[in-house]
Amino acid sequence: MKMKKAASLFLTATIATSALAGCSTGNGGSKSADGKTTIEFWAAPNPTQQVYWKEMAEEFEKENPKIDVKVSPIKESPTSEASIQSAIAGKSAPTMSENINRGFAAQLAESKALVPLNEVEGWDELLKNRNMTDTVKTWKFADDNQYVMPIYSNPMLFGWRIDILKEVGVNEIPKTYSEVLDAVKKLKAKHPDKYLWAKGDLADPTAWKRWFDFFMLYDAASGGNNFIEGDKFVAEDEAGLNVLKFMGDLQKEDALLTKQATDPFESGLGIFTDLGPWTFSYWEEKFPEMKYNETFGLALPPVPDGADTENVNTFADTKGIVIYASATEEERKAAMEFMNFVYSNPENDLKWLETTKLPPARDDLSSNDSFKAFFDKNPELKPYADAVPNAIPSIDNAKYNELQTHIGRYAVNPVVKGEVDPEKGWKEMKKAIKEELKK
Amino acid sequence: MMKRNGTGWLFASPYLLYAVIFFAIPLIWSMYLSFTDWNLISPVYYFKGFDNFIEAVKHPGVQAAFFVTFKFMAAFVPVVIVSSLAVALVIHGLPKFKGLFLIGFFLPYLASGVVSSLIVKGLLSHNSAFNVFLRKFGIEVDWLSTPLSALLVVAAIIAWKFTGYYALILTAGFEGINKDVYEAAAIDGVTPSQRFWKITLPLLYPALFTVLILSIGVSFGIFTEVYQLTGGGPNYATNTWQMEIFKQAFTNLSAGYASAVAIIASVVTFASILVIRKLLEMWGKRNGWV
Repeated sequence: MKMKKAASLFLTATIATSALAGCSTGNGGSKSADGKTTIEFWAAPNPTQQVYWKEMAEEFEKENPKIDVKVSPIKESPTSEASIQSAIAGKSAPTMSENINRGFAAQLAESKALVPLNEVEGWDELLKNRNMTDTVKTWKFADDNQYVMPIYSNPMLFGWRIDILKEVGVNEIPKTYSEVLDAVKKLKAKHPDKYLWAKGDLADPTAWKRWFDFFMLYDAASGGNNFIEGDKFVAEDEAGLNVLKFMGDLQKEDALLTKQATDPFESGLGIFTDLGPWTFSYWEEKFPEMKYNETFGLALPPVPDGADTENVNTFADTKGIVIYASATEEERKAAMEFMNFVYSNPENDLKWLETTKLPPARDDLSSNDSFKAFFDKNPELKPYADAVPNAIPSIDNAKYNELQTHIGRYAVNPVVKGEVDPEKGWKEMKKAIKEELKK
Repeated sequence: MMKRNGTGWLFASPYLLYAVIFFAIPLIWSMYLSFTDWNLISPVYYFKGFDNFIEAVKHPGVQAAFFVTFKFMAAFVPVVIVSSLAVALVIHGLPKFKGLFLIGFFLPYLASGVVSSLIVKGLLSHNSAFNVFLRKFGIEVDWLSTPLSALLVVAAIIAWKFTGYYALILTAGFEGINKDVYEAAAIDGVTPSQRFWKITLPLLYPALFTVLILSIGVSFGIFTEVYQLTGGGPNYATNTWQMEIFKQAFTNLSAGYASAVAIIASVVTFASILVIRKLLEMWGKRNGWV
């Protein structure tokens, strides 16, 4: 009887131990007996960035035999943010990871889950060596700390179907709201079944979708004025209203298609859309007929009439590297050494640019000779490099999801559907955002 | 007796362990979290009492989830019951290859919800062949941005997915009805209508009861199709409980609040299924089927 009881207890304990052991994936890094520091680096879950970071880790290890860099992809189930959150909660966060946007970094920083990089030795050297002192300024958080090392700063541009514009008699890409509306009238006169902007996302309140419509136009209209500062709503009313009125005018002209459509820009159903540099590799394979300066052109967002049409600001789709607070002092130091190794050599940024087509977040991207040959070969990416200094990253509030959902739900979505007038939309959005910030 | 109990516990221990680790502990943990403002990672968090619950009840997303579930139920359950009954009747009447056809109808149940949703999204896009064809007749429908059509599209995909599965259960129910009963009824001269209402339905009641309860349960757990097609919109018109919990937990990273919503959803689901089950049992008893 005792034997059976013991066997039963042993079995139960074994199963419990195995099950619980299965829940753990170990900690973010370690220092072994031979004095080697191991850091774990979670890279974006796409094959090109995996290859890049593995190559960087190998090269770094050759020069730094005392540090091991283990590169693995961030799990995307259910989302990469949730995976990181679960890892932190389960005490299995890596030492560092990339693919972190400013809003998510703000959420993590508020929970004290990130290391302020400016407090780690080697940060100033990194900024100087990579020539990114100006670019990084817009990344400073409300508490004056820098939690993210921006890898790329991708100023979002608008693509125009210049072949269709020319066909309807518009030879220059419109730069102001009036010019856009004139182009719409000409387009509709000749092609009533075509639209200026065919994008189902305009009617979708999902938070991140506002980066690629509202914020591009707002950053341009406001000259890069902040929308939220810390816990304060500081958006410029006039600029915000101008953007919504512009959207409302387009809706009245039947220039917006807010239904889901398949490849609307490529098929010519719409002649204007937000474009990121990642699109071009996809087009090379699927739409080889899309040729820069033949079928499509790139431009900064249109601005209200009378505003300066040069040096226009736009939203920056930017992501970077963070070091997690669970990392030990040695691991933090090793992580900074790894970043310094990668970013002290412009050739590594060039390799990144060639691999991902995403513009490195450097002040000298359009002037450094290391990148000249690349941009000569890929002229469609040059406008992105030129716009880096005018690119505004996302808001750094931990509630960015809720706040940006309010922009969609109360302002952009109903205005593009013609359900509310821009003034009412802006007023209700402001009210909802202010209430959210008070919580 | 003690020896038998010990062996019983030993054999039951894997399941008990599984239930404790994957059910009891998360449930208790979730209940605990629902009274806090913890986001799972912050070292500092506060007890909020019932604030999360009060906030949730007032939130338009939660209110929508409550009503949307019953709207889905009203659209999905009748459609899936009629279609699975029709499929089961046809298969039951086949002289051969019943198994083969059953497997054929069962396949959509195995299909990935993500894949089927993406196919439907393509089919319903503005420039799809289907919509181009409809526009030739002046019919212009914004399928996924109109509250009613978005709800019906999601309900239709789920009905398509579950028809074969429920037809399998109903076919087993049909097969279990003794043919002698029909023969005796034929001798007594019953009409086809009487045959269905007085013989088939009462004898099929246990299988039908199961299918009804299962389909009602499905209405409370809709997520993938909504996530892929509408994201809960337009204006919360397809916002289900699961969608709301997902948004709060994994997008807004409000684990405490999401736990409160999950607990409210569990209570609503449990209470609704209990009431509906009682009504179905009363319906069966009143007709003398149970």
